[in-house]
Amino acid sequence: MFSLPSFVGVAQLPVDVPREEVFVVDVIITAPVPHNHNFWITGPHPLVTHAIMMETLWIRDQETGERVMGAAISDPMYNDDFTQMSVELRDNIYWSDGVQFTADDLIFTVETLKATPGLNARGWHANLNKSMASVEKTGDFSVTFHLTEPTPRFHSLLEARWGAIYMMPKHVFENIDDLPAYTYTDGPYLGAYLPVEEDPSGVWQLFVRRDDWERSPAGIITGNPGPKYILEINYGGPDRKVIAMSRGELDVYYDSDFESFQSTLETAPAARSWYAGFPWGYMGEVSTRELIFNFGSETQPWFHEKDVRWALALALDIQAVVTDYMGGTAKLTNMPVPTTPALTAIYHDPMEEWFQNLEIEIEEGVMYKPYDATIPDQIAAWAESEGYEVPGDTRAVFGSGWWAHAPDVADRLLMKHGFSRDDGGNWLTPDGNPWELEVLSDTTSVQQFHFGNAAADMWKDFGIDTSLAAHERTLYTSTNETGQFDISGDWFSFTLVDGDAWPVFNIFHPDLVVPVGEDTRTTGGHATRLTDPKIGEFIDAMVSIGPDDPSSFELTTEMLKYWVENMYSIPIVAFNKFVTWDERYWTGFPTFENPSSMPLYWFMGGKLTFQNLKPVDS
Amino acid sequence: MASDVLRATIRDLFRFSLSFRFGSIILMFVGILLLLSFFSPFESDDRRVVPRNKPPSQEFILGTTGNGQDGFWLLTFAIRNTLMVSGLAVLIGRSIAVMLGMITGYLGGKTDRVISSIVDSIIVIPRLPLLILIAAILQGEMTVLSLALLLGILDWAHPSKRYRAMILSLREREFTHTAIFSGMNAVKVVVQEHLPFLIPLLLADAVAGFLWAIGMEVTLSVLGLSDLSAPSIGTLIFWGNYHHALLRGRVWILAAPIAASVLMVVGFYLVSLSLSEYLDPRTRLSRLTMEE
Amino acid sequence: MTLLKEFILPRFVQWLIVIFVGVTITFIIPRLSPVNPVNEALARVQMYQNIDPEAVQVMRATLLDLYGLEGSVLEQYVNFWKRVLKGDLGPSLASFPLSVNQLIGVSIGWTIGLLGTSILIAWTLGVILGSLAGYYPNRWWSEGLEKSLITVYPVPYYILAFVLLMAFTFYLPIFPLIGGARGTAAFTWEYISSVLHHGFLPALSIVIGATAHRFIMSKALTTTEKSSDYVQYAQMAALPERKILLFYVARNTLLPQVTDLSLSLGALFGGALIAEFVFGYPGIGTTMYTAINNGDYNAIMGITLLSIVGIATASLLIDLMYPLIDPRVRYR
Repeated sequence: MFSLPSFVGVAQLPVDVPREEVFVVDVIITAPVPHNHNFWITGPHPLVTHAIMMETLWIRDQETGERVMGAAISDPMYNDDFTQMSVELRDNIYWSDGVQFTADDLIFTVETLKATPGLNARGWHANLNKSMASVEKTGDFSVTFHLTEPTPRFHSLLEARWGAIYMMPKHVFENIDDLPAYTYTDGPYLGAYLPVEEDPSGVWQLFVRRDDWERSPAGIITGNPGPKYILEINYGGPDRKVIAMSRGELDVYYDSDFESFQSTLETAPAARSWYAGFPWGYMGEVSTRELIFNFGSETQPWFHEKDVRWALALALDIQAVVTDYMGGTAKLTNMPVPTTPALTAIYHDPMEEWFQNLEIEIEEGVMYKPYDATIPDQIAAWAESEGYEVPGDTRAVFGSGWWAHAPDVADRLLMKHGFSRDDGGNWLTPDGNPWELEVLSDTTSVQQFHFGNAAADMWKDFGIDTSLAAHERTLYTSTNETGQFDISGDWFSFTLVDGDAWPVFNIFHPDLVVPVGEDTRTTGGHATRLTDPKIGEFIDAMVSIGPDDPSSFELTTEMLKYWVENMYSIPIVAFNKFVTWDERYWTGFPTFENPSSMPLYWFMGGKLTFQNLKPVDS
Repeated sequence: MASDVLRATIRDLFRFSLSFRFGSIILMFVGILLLLSFFSPFESDDRRVVPRNKPPSQEFILGTTGNGQDGFWLLTFAIRNTLMVSGLAVLIGRSIAVMLGMITGYLGGKTDRVISSIVDSIIVIPRLPLLILIAAILQGEMTVLSLALLLGILDWAHPSKRYRAMILSLREREFTHTAIFSGMNAVKVVVQEHLPFLIPLLLADAVAGFLWAIGMEVTLSVLGLSDLSAPSIGTLIFWGNYHHALLRGRVWILAAPIAASVLMVVGFYLVSLSLSEYLDPRTRLSRLTMEE
Repeated sequence: MTLLKEFILPRFVQWLIVIFVGVTITFIIPRLSPVNPVNEALARVQMYQNIDPEAVQVMRATLLDLYGLEGSVLEQYVNFWKRVLKGDLGPSLASFPLSVNQLIGVSIGWTIGLLGTSILIAWTLGVILGSLAGYYPNRWWSEGLEKSLITVYPVPYYILAFVLLMAFTFYLPIFPLIGGARGTAAFTWEYISSVLHHGFLPALSIVIGATAHRFIMSKALTTTEKSSDYVQYAQMAALPERKILLFYVARNTLLPQVTDLSLSLGALFGGALIAEFVFGYPGIGTTMYTAINNGDYNAIMGITLLSIVGIATASLLIDLMYPLIDPRVRYR
């Protein structure tokens, strides 16, 4: 009835700048405080802004895993017992008002944060008070931090994954009395772009490149001017992003799904994602999507039985989850570490043999090997039957092996614990009632919602009375964090991009568990409410080991084996954010063929992604 | 006896009122669809039972959805659930409203003043935000039934004011005084003399309530705040949007629930229109004159 | 004096009661919500960043203090009224450090512009078309109008808006996809025309439904008036039709409709939540939706308060003015 538009509408951007000079970026959230650039206070600041106008000492590239120098020029240098950390700073970067950045700025920044309780974004004030005794200027461009106790990860406060402590311009801030109330609207800034205009309600913000962009870290690193303007817009849900791109009003977006992405391919001829063809999306963000159990649930006490958890995992047909529900655009992982190239090398590859030999006991003395290494090949075979070409090694594209679809084994595991089937084949719990299960899912995270649907359908097919509870993000989050669920779709990675586990894994410490009904965010714990003391022991042992110490990886591997054996969560896939860009106006975005930097542009490293862009003409 | 009157009334209506003829045919059609839901080969929450996203064909006359459901059978469930939600909501809301309207209208005095103040205070609270808030508070507890209840208890303030005004004016009419002076008891006066005037109002009002309830059901579902596994006009649209039906050019997935919602409400609207015309004492008079 | 004492004062007291009760109810309900603003703020902070558990505790205490959420609910309630009477709606909890006053200030203009214009257009159109159709019920145009409007009227608003959005931003991309205007506010033709361009689709969606509603009401009223004695006499007296319609029928049907109009204008501050949500329009409805999602009690309260005062005041004014307009109603 309707045909898709074959023509392209005239771009109707909210600002009056030449279309070929502006790079338009979708940022998924609206910033109600657009002109407030005080990133040291807690506030709903826009996602991308901080990356292009602010600087941190270091940036961790999420694709390569490498440390990129921001305002620093050296790695963090610790003494032997991790009570001192020194750093060398760049001597060639300047604030946008022409004043040079020096050690004084760094010292002013950390001392001010430490002294001002109101400047506690991301816990900086509290963290610095806890771990930093003093800071010493050892030269115009070198600084030494003296720490209160051995802290091998002190630098992580200053190293950005998404964000970290941002440098303050001492020459301006020292004259401001009430810094927490200061809006920092007029700069000066250290990044390569300056805010020039914004929508009063925060839907869009326009940035202009500094004339002296070569005196910023991104300018120095890339040597490329980048677009003259960057426009950040929050268009809304996937539909609207697709429409915006089809109209030529958007150059890059993320958080989409394979169905709306298909529409982009049809309506924006120059659009593409990480791969030029199937399976398109970028699956390298360091996080996994999984199903978690609510160990605090009173209605599902059997979640404490390892066999019940395994039965639920074996009742899933993972090949169908990936193909039927995600169109094959997913990368599997069988443990809570994503299958990115770097982490696969550190964890998945070395553990592969262990997975293949892993056995679970069905009945006394009857062992079963649940791991099926051929799942990626099965998905590749499906893709080829659909007429797609698989771009490379199946394991590199579709991730690790997974657990076989073995409903018969699942049956036996459940029966062993007193579960039974009624005449209709539906499962009864050990106390004889129908087994009701609710899968909680976030409708805003499209990928998570896809497999939430899949799991609910498959467990229903398996005979469990499964329902799906789907909420918008904030409601989902509070439901999840207060433990009002049986099974929930969640996302996390047990390690950072470099393989270090403690900074992200510590939230699973049993000490942080709060009862169902209370919000886990009050302690910083995790919604799954696992109280296994062994997990606490792993975490405690990790604290004092440096992140680059080989024994750190060994310990993490042991912890992962323990987690997988116990099936404490059901990891499904690595993130697929479907970062999609249109090469109508700009080129040079990182791709599978040219993985220059990470395409995750809303992280701190996004500043390099933008700086690397070139107009299509040249 | 009563059934004879009813039959005669319906026959009259059919003969003289075009809107009744159209309206009742539409409602009959909707009713048949609703009844068909009881003979569906699928369960209402079955998914992945047919190929996904197939356009209408001989096998699937309304196509199939992105969840792998048969569009036609799914629609029959949706009509049933939506009618149930809005019907129950209207019933609950109007019952409260009629009761309050009568209490305040007939009793008057202090009772009237207190209740009216409360009603006025509730009327000024914006309902949609309130509804979204409560739906969010109820979270997973949102079922077809609780949604009906929620909509019902949010939709009585305005109608109760209208009924009160109507009763106040009836009470002052001459025939009320005559009836009471001639020794008729109050209940009889209300039932025999006042109800015929109230019913057209009630009918028109019920249809307005229906419209509101369906609109809210759709709104809440689209925002993901209702029971998404229970098919309804709203959840069908939610899932259609979720699988980007319009973006992907799969018009049939959204066209069916939209058409159904329009048909339902237009049907009720036309029937209520003809009924109130029929029941309105003034137009009844002119009709009788015409018949002679 | 008696006029003031017996007529105005009771109505004013009623107005106060209505606002007080309404606000109290909306004070309680958001606090039952599972979404807690402090935890939301903590979640935003914890995103992409590991935070020391002890630091989380410190932050939580700071936030409670900043947001004024310390103390019992009763204390919060008393503080709330103290603040409101000074005209301060408190800090926004989701958009800290912005105040709710600022938050409303940014968005209210858009809503008043969009909704106010649409309501006026729809009301005028509906009244004129409805009276004409009611007075000339058997003309082809009145029947055609009625049939088409009756079909449009019951379409759930969301559906209407969504179809318009898809049709005119995607299939035929002639209207903007998002926002209220281009660039920064300025008194230039360029800016004003962009406001009109951005507002057109949302306004159209509201006008369609509201016109149909008004048309149906107006037609029904006219039909009733037309069958009344005085119109029959006037017709028998062979007064010109136009004169009957304008001076007799319209005058009498207009009164209840003016009441409706002022009530809908009073409801304006509540915003057009769905319209703004669908069209990405930056009005107060969007602000409200964001506030609900983030558990921003203060913003929810502030907007609701505005809306309650708006409607209550509108009906107070109508009450007071009625005897002036309609001689049949006396001050009593």
